[in-house]
Amino acid sequence: MRTTIADEAAEWFVANRHGLPDAGQRAAFAAWLKSSPLNVEEYLGVALVALDLRHAADPGVSLEELLAQARSADDTNVRAIGNARAGGESARSARPAVRWRFAAVAAAVVVLSVVAFAVLRLGVDHPAEVRYATRHGEQITQRLADDSLLHLDTDTAVTVRYSRAQRVVEVERGQVLFEVVHEAGRPFRVVAGAAQVVDVGTRFDVYLQQNSTLVTVLEGQVLVSLVAAPQDASTGARSVPVHAGQHIRVADGMLLAQSTPAETQRTTAWLRRQITFEQEPLATVAAEFNRYNTPPIEIETPSLRGLAISGTFSADDEESFVAFLRSLEGVKVEITPTRVRVSRR
Amino acid sequence: MGETKKVLVERLFAQHGGALRAFFYRRVHHRPDAAELAQEVYLRMLRLSDTDAIRNPEAYLYTVASNLAKEHRVLERRHESTIDIEDVSGHEMLAELSGITEQIETEQRVKRLREVLRQLPPKCHAAVVLQYWHGMSYEEIAAQLGVSTNMVKKYLTQGLAHCRRRMARMA
Repeated sequence: MRTTIADEAAEWFVANRHGLPDAGQRAAFAAWLKSSPLNVEEYLGVALVALDLRHAADPGVSLEELLAQARSADDTNVRAIGNARAGGESARSARPAVRWRFAAVAAAVVVLSVVAFAVLRLGVDHPAEVRYATRHGEQITQRLADDSLLHLDTDTAVTVRYSRAQRVVEVERGQVLFEVVHEAGRPFRVVAGAAQVVDVGTRFDVYLQQNSTLVTVLEGQVLVSLVAAPQDASTGARSVPVHAGQHIRVADGMLLAQSTPAETQRTTAWLRRQITFEQEPLATVAAEFNRYNTPPIEIETPSLRGLAISGTFSADDEESFVAFLRSLEGVKVEITPTRVRVSRR
Repeated sequence: MGETKKVLVERLFAQHGGALRAFFYRRVHHRPDAAELAQEVYLRMLRLSDTDAIRNPEAYLYTVASNLAKEHRVLERRHESTIDIEDVSGHEMLAELSGITEQIETEQRVKRLREVLRQLPPKCHAAVVLQYWHGMSYEEIAAQLGVSTNMVKKYLTQGLAHCRRRMARMA
């Protein structure tokens, strides 16, 4: 079973009600709360449910019957948990709960240019070309003519070319989650940097980074290959199948022979406008926040760039993240109109 | 955490439970409220560095949340009265209506919660009922069900998380 923040919150709530929590457990609990505003929200939510449960006693339920059922039932799918989890280790989620703070993101669609000329020219298989782009901090979901869906993350641009023979989406920059409707005889192809992805009806994420492209498959299977240079068809000939739950990185024009397991919950966290990081360097996390927010976070002390931190935040809640940074020992944060400066205290 | 203190804090929490509930259950319609409250509580939690608060982070959390919910409620009331100050009868009617709505909401919530409970596996369902309706301790529940205390914790965790997820979805 997938662990969500609701599960973690419930686990802490139950643990906190068993005897007197020792100092270690209390500190671990405080650390869990501090690692995300989502944890705080979920814990309060669980506490309210517990409060309501007391008032929900149902006279229609016979305790004897319930106990008889419970004693005869065996649930092999549930395993006991030790105290270790709630006791020592910092329990925080790498898996976000579903939350949609921004319902109307799709309203902010910016179609930078639309060049559609094939529609009226019957008989000519000229691809209709449409470009979609998002601004800094913006996300959109776009339905295409064949009902396939494109989810565009912040600072992303794609060009869609649909013809009768094939469907091609070129990722110019950013990150896109594809939900592709399969059509026999009309393949769906994604080109992103040096990588080419041919889809077989599925859900996958393409993240075009500075020097590499990361392809993560959530459902189904895709074939990933290098975009072949016209004069050198041999490099494009090899393709690697990537299955659900796997990802592959194409860097410096090189394609690895095999895909590796991916944390798909994290891959799609951006859809819920969340940033999740576990023991990741501060520099990487700050770069993620900067994809969504202004003013940008700048780390002035080089030695802080590698500082490993953990947490889950709403992508646009820079305020909470900055407060979190301030709570770290030896870290100083200065906010100017144009910069959020992070340095060693 | 001392027993009496725990009871006190929970009573405090229960007093402002109504306002908090509005924040968290109606999250679909009032998303910004719930997110804002959680963020505000979180920001105050981050300041938690003194030993007293660490000694009882949960109590601290409830106190902060309750106070914020209370403040919000006061603000809401003030807001309402400025709107309806011209029309006293309209204002009274509104107050009456909101009372009725609250009552209906409570009934609906309890009804829904009972349905959600029935979706739980038998042992899990029984553990939740024994804890929350009969006030049994984990050890007593373990004896009743013939399982270990850790299993009881697991059942309660599973039950609470399930209820929370389902109730959060209820708009």
